Amino acid sequence: MKNWGLLTAPLGIFLCGMTILYLKMQGSVQKVTNNTLQDPLTYVPYLVIAVFLTIVIQMVVIRRKLDTFILPIILMLVSIGLVEIARLKPALLLRQLQWLCIAMLVMFLVIRLWPKIRQMLNYPYLLGIGCVILLGLPLLFGTEIGGSKNWLVLGPISLQPSEFGKIVLLFFLASYLSDHRKVLTLPAHKILFLRLPPLRFIAPLICIWGMAVLMFVVEKDLGSALLFFGMAVLMTYMATGSKSYVFLALAFMGMAAAASYAMFGHVRVRFDIWLNPWADPNGMAYQVVQSLFAIGTGGLWGTGFGFGHPGFIPEVHTDFIFSAIVEEMGLTAGLMLIICYALLFWRGIKGALRLKNTTEALLMAGCGVLILLQMFIIVAGVTKFLPLTGITLPFVSYGGSSMVSSFILLAMLLSLTKEQKNV
Amino acid sequence: MSDWKLKRQILQVGAFLLLMVAVLSIYIGYLAVWKGQELAENPLNMRGAAAKADIRRGTILDAHGRVLAQTNDDGSRNYPLGSVMAQVTGYNGENIGSAGLEGHANRELLGLTADMTRLGPVSQLLQTERGNDLKTTIEADAQQAAFDGLAGRKGAVVVLDADTGAVLAMVSSPSYDPNNVEANWKSMSQEADGPLLNRTVQGLYPPGSTIKPMIADAALTEGVTSEQETFDCPGVLDVGGGHSIRESHGEVHNRVDLRKALTESCNVTFGTLGMRLGDAKLKKAFERFGFDQSIGGEIVMTSSHLPEFGTLGTGDQAQTAIGQSTLLVTPMHMALLASAFAHGGTVMKPYLVQEVITPSGIVVHRAAPEKWLTVTTAEMAAKIHNYMEDVVTKGTGRAAQVSGVEVAGKTGTAENPQGEDHAWFIGSAKLRNRNIAFAIIVENGGGGGKVAAPIARKIILSLQN
Repeated sequence: MKNWGLLTAPLGIFLCGMTILYLKMQGSVQKVTNNTLQDPLTYVPYLVIAVFLTIVIQMVVIRRKLDTFILPIILMLVSIGLVEIARLKPALLLRQLQWLCIAMLVMFLVIRLWPKIRQMLNYPYLLGIGCVILLGLPLLFGTEIGGSKNWLVLGPISLQPSEFGKIVLLFFLASYLSDHRKVLTLPAHKILFLRLPPLRFIAPLICIWGMAVLMFVVEKDLGSALLFFGMAVLMTYMATGSKSYVFLALAFMGMAAAASYAMFGHVRVRFDIWLNPWADPNGMAYQVVQSLFAIGTGGLWGTGFGFGHPGFIPEVHTDFIFSAIVEEMGLTAGLMLIICYALLFWRGIKGALRLKNTTEALLMAGCGVLILLQMFIIVAGVTKFLPLTGITLPFVSYGGSSMVSSFILLAMLLSLTKEQKNV
Repeated sequence: MSDWKLKRQILQVGAFLLLMVAVLSIYIGYLAVWKGQELAENPLNMRGAAAKADIRRGTILDAHGRVLAQTNDDGSRNYPLGSVMAQVTGYNGENIGSAGLEGHANRELLGLTADMTRLGPVSQLLQTERGNDLKTTIEADAQQAAFDGLAGRKGAVVVLDADTGAVLAMVSSPSYDPNNVEANWKSMSQEADGPLLNRTVQGLYPPGSTIKPMIADAALTEGVTSEQETFDCPGVLDVGGGHSIRESHGEVHNRVDLRKALTESCNVTFGTLGMRLGDAKLKKAFERFGFDQSIGGEIVMTSSHLPEFGTLGTGDQAQTAIGQSTLLVTPMHMALLASAFAHGGTVMKPYLVQEVITPSGIVVHRAAPEKWLTVTTAEMAAKIHNYMEDVVTKGTGRAAQVSGVEVAGKTGTAENPQGEDHAWFIGSAKLRNRNIAFAIIVENGGGGGKVAAPIARKIILSLQN
């Protein structure tokens, strides 16, 4: 039996966190009735389900000789996210736990059905069309929630198609790029110092870049746009090793950014906030400034769990959860989170290097890149390293679509570790 | 294309991304640690205020444990002695800021100490929901006596322990009631010299004759006169330029030595000494007694206004030596000056808080008496102190006499542009267990001996038992 012990760490973090919150509630003067934190019985059933699913998945992982380190690393992130959500918005804890159970169930199914799912890699163009449709849906029928028009409301549930679109895009890129590696590196045209293949081969890539820009301008979803764009560029480089593409992509992005800055008010506002948030700290730049205050107040060790005031940041439980964690648990916890992602990424890259099949290697490296890149973009956004974007911190932030899609990615990554021997 | 090329490219991308993440981590570290203090203390950061709102402010006590300020169960603040203690406790309001100890000792009252806030979660173990109590050096009886002595007239009283620097009383009149300062804020804050002005440390007055002990000290120290020399006082002194200095009430002192001159507050003698000392030596004397310095620590005092030494004519030199000209000082500084002669030539640093006590009774801070300045020699201090005893026993300050107590003092009747003279009395008294120094001013009160000295007597009586 390997690494069962590692799985107790996330459980311990969750139980400790809930105990602290429970005890803190007992001491407070005003008692809130019907509070989730006061009554552990409301969430314990879901916790039991999650633990049960964890055991089942880890057993499958062990039996199939997959990487046994990945699940504990991810559950670390999940448990930190759960306690922080319980502390920030106790009412949402139950929903998040329910989503976690669903996500783990989906993960289990993806691992079981992987041989069938991987057949999708044989139909790159279908994947491309599917991707365009998924991403195009909100352009046509999207609803604006929280400033971004990237939501689809289907009756009682609202979905973010881009969360699933990114997985389809990953499939498409892996399959298309591995099919066309040779053609794409064929130096058919030489324009200045750029070596470019015939236009029809790079057309799909330009199409993706264009989609990314559209997403930003129309849906006001800078985070997804950056993520999709970054994915396309990095995957292309991994497949072809051609610096011409990188240069072309950066030039394309630079032009698109300059053009949208000149043309659209909301783009200009975003960039101006980034360049100087102190010009309007109580207005447009309120979120970023409060996030910086949270991180500064937290310092190295944080204020102590439950003793900070992260509530000053709007949307703190989704996009800004990283700031809340740093405020209360300090830089130490923030760096630990980042290291968890980096470890996961490293396991992904390491696995990809051992794969013989080009498509699978690209897909697996892509999974790692996607998770790390998403983490990078949102953490950089809330710390003013990059302009603020509206995407979730995978596995940690509150959000159903994000949770399910992140676990699908995780399932893919896990399934692809099959051919490697456990270390 | 060979397989190794793909692997190399994957590795390149992996290394690139990890490098980006490393740069981001360093940047977050810079934000949280290097810039942390600055961000945490940014005035727009409401976290500090929110944390403070969760804490119950500590109690302010006098030297014998009498409550001066406390927090009610509903979180409001209550000041049992009201306007008597206003200059000590001050106030603390959400919209009006804070003053007094409520302002200066805010961190202690909230139980926040500088080293604890950056300790992180560990500080939560030490942080209680109740702030620390402050035990002040204030003697509530002396404070009350001073307050009653002023009887609503504009003025100020400072009483110090000359041996330690402990502030025993500080009263400014008119005062305000901290219990309802917020309600009366608008009208009070518009008056420039209204109740919010703490005259003890912010009020600037001409010291008048109360500066003479220092001038006597300077004249002897600099050797411009001796104890034996006699001065002839015809009641008027020609100071050159067609100006002259007169004795108050047209008195004539005839032949006086320095001791007699101080006892009778002879303007002619001190005007003469001022001119003999000249700009440089006068300046040196004022510097010796710290008139060009701030005190530092918890007493924040407005700095004195000194004449522009180096440009003074003989008239201004003579006027400065009798505490007029453009010289302006605070009552606190005059009390410090008085304490120097009662304490062998050294001035102790004044302080108001003697202990900071946690809710569990642990004393986390105990004030240690600290020397502020050595202004003169012990022999010289004893000599001047002896002169000042004469002032009370047979001179202008007889109204301050208390039987069985050695009282020394100096009266002052300071001319001022606002109207009637300011009545001053500074001095010291040897009580059974302590040595006190004081400064009293009643604005436009008239003669110092008649108006201010009796207040000193009341204060001494209140502290005697």
